[in-house]
Amino acid sequence: MMPLPVQRAVRDYRNHKYLHGLCALTIALSVFIVSAFSLFYLNATEVLDAWRKGIRIIAYLSAETTDADRKTLTAATAQLEGVAHVAFVSRDAAFAELRLKLGDQTSLLAGLSDNPLPDALEIRLSDDYHNLEDIDKLADRIRSLEYVDDVEYAQKWLHRFKGVYNLFQITGFVLVAVFFMATLMITANTIRLIMYARRQEIEIMRIVGADDVFIKYPLYIQSVVLGFVGAAAGLACLFLAYILTLANVGSSSVVSMFDIRFIPPALVLGIIVCSMIIGWLGCWFSIRKFLRF
Amino acid sequence: MREEKNKEMMIRLFRVSKHYGKKSALIDLTVDVAADDFVFVTGPSGAGKSTMIKLLYMGEAISSGSILVDGVNLARVSRKQVPLLRRKFGIIFQDFKLIPTRTVFDNVALVLEVAGVRSREIQTRVMEVLDQVGIADRSGEYPQILSGGEQQRVAVARAIIANPKIIVADEPTGSLDPDSAARIFSLLQTAHAKGAAVIIATHDRELIASHDGRVIRLEDGRIAKSSSEPDMLQ
Ligand SMILES: Nc1ncnc2c1ncn2[C@@H]1O[C@H](COP(=O)(O)OP(=O)(O)OP(=O)(O)O)[C@@H](O)[C@H]1O
Ligand SMILES: [Mg+2]
Repeated sequence: MMPLPVQRAVRDYRNHKYLHGLCALTIALSVFIVSAFSLFYLNATEVLDAWRKGIRIIAYLSAETTDADRKTLTAATAQLEGVAHVAFVSRDAAFAELRLKLGDQTSLLAGLSDNPLPDALEIRLSDDYHNLEDIDKLADRIRSLEYVDDVEYAQKWLHRFKGVYNLFQITGFVLVAVFFMATLMITANTIRLIMYARRQEIEIMRIVGADDVFIKYPLYIQSVVLGFVGAAAGLACLFLAYILTLANVGSSSVVSMFDIRFIPPALVLGIIVCSMIIGWLGCWFSIRKFLRF
Repeated sequence: MREEKNKEMMIRLFRVSKHYGKKSALIDLTVDVAADDFVFVTGPSGAGKSTMIKLLYMGEAISSGSILVDGVNLARVSRKQVPLLRRKFGIIFQDFKLIPTRTVFDNVALVLEVAGVRSREIQTRVMEVLDQVGIADRSGEYPQILSGGEQQRVAVARAIIANPKIIVADEPTGSLDPDSAARIFSLLQTAHAKGAAVIIATHDRELIASHDGRVIRLEDGRIAKSSSEPDMLQ
């Protein structure tokens, strides 16, 4: 058998089930939207990181570079900050690889009398070196070295993606802030309605000698529990949506390039705690306004 | 008038007035109630009986004058101390004031919970008092489905359960058949015998006539007649 206070709380919820339901639903909806956004955001971050890690800078060497020049250049490049590894790709090797990649369409190369590709250095970056500006600088350094004709890396791509990502990040923060405030306001108002509906009960409790703490403490607990239930429901919906999405696109090639991950446990916990705080604050606001404590 | 100077006073009203806007519900009222008194407050509708009761438990603030309850001047009772003052009272309201969303048991238990009594003790004491008023079998039901008389018994149970120093009843037998009224009344007498000061506001002349007790008659917010013998009214 449940302890008396729990039984009573359950009964209180049931007595005003629509208002309590509405309150939990509001919280659940916000939690769903915010956590869905976090899910996208975190996965986008991971994709971006993965791409940055995979970045190689190709430095094309000028035709007159001698073997000795190339060795000094390789050594000099390897010294640069952020460079993990420098490999020489001879024009012949590059041509062979191109041939291999083209596969059936080798005929495209038939018209070429000569190998058009230059010698090149393939520069891999260290894992912790993925700030876009730094990569740009490094590429410029390498470009300015002697015997380097040109450098190539996924610059435009990265910048465009980064732009979108930044926008995403800013909207994300704004969104979270707006949702927090909106949910708090709606929750506070719903809780005030609940208190209004229970005003007679509260009034009677006072007349028989209940002090503020006696009246407030169950209201707080119930509001915090509402926050918890709302958050749990919202997160459960997101998890369901996540599972269903994975099942549907699981085999598609775009997605299999990287794993979509659910938001980490720490964030799940954070969202739940946040909702409980919203419940608490909502109760605090309503109590102040409604009961004038 | 009885000479009450030497007796222990539970309640003293001294030149108490209560105004609602321009309307005066009580005017310059001076009344003492001893710790072992059994008092009827009577008078026509609108005379100020309920108002007087509300002032005692600080349900309303007085406009002027002073009130002492169990030696405490209500003017010096802070907001935080109001609950403590109210726990000295067992109040039966004209409109019962039972919580509709709580069971009979919970309504009565509330008084003990508020006072911080342990739940195991609450369980036994509530069932005991419900048994005493004769509605133990309805403890799990909600007030709305009970008859008026049954609700009144719940209200009485709630008023007496904590053995308060003062029991105040506003029309405790109104709208009851004579048998039920007698039953309620005897419960109040029992509480009085156990040591509570009892104040009953009522129109019911028969009730007053057929029982011993002091009578305070209010009219238009003033004392019209006060006596220790009910027959002085006739
Ligand atoms: N909250 C209030 N605001 C304004 N006037 C009030 C208020 N409460 C009571 N009154 C007025 O004060 C007067 C006394 O009311 P009270 O309820 O004390 O009468 P009563 O003697 O209990 O009457 P009844 O026998 O009908 O219960 C009445 O004229 C009433 O209209
Ligand atoms: Mg009245």
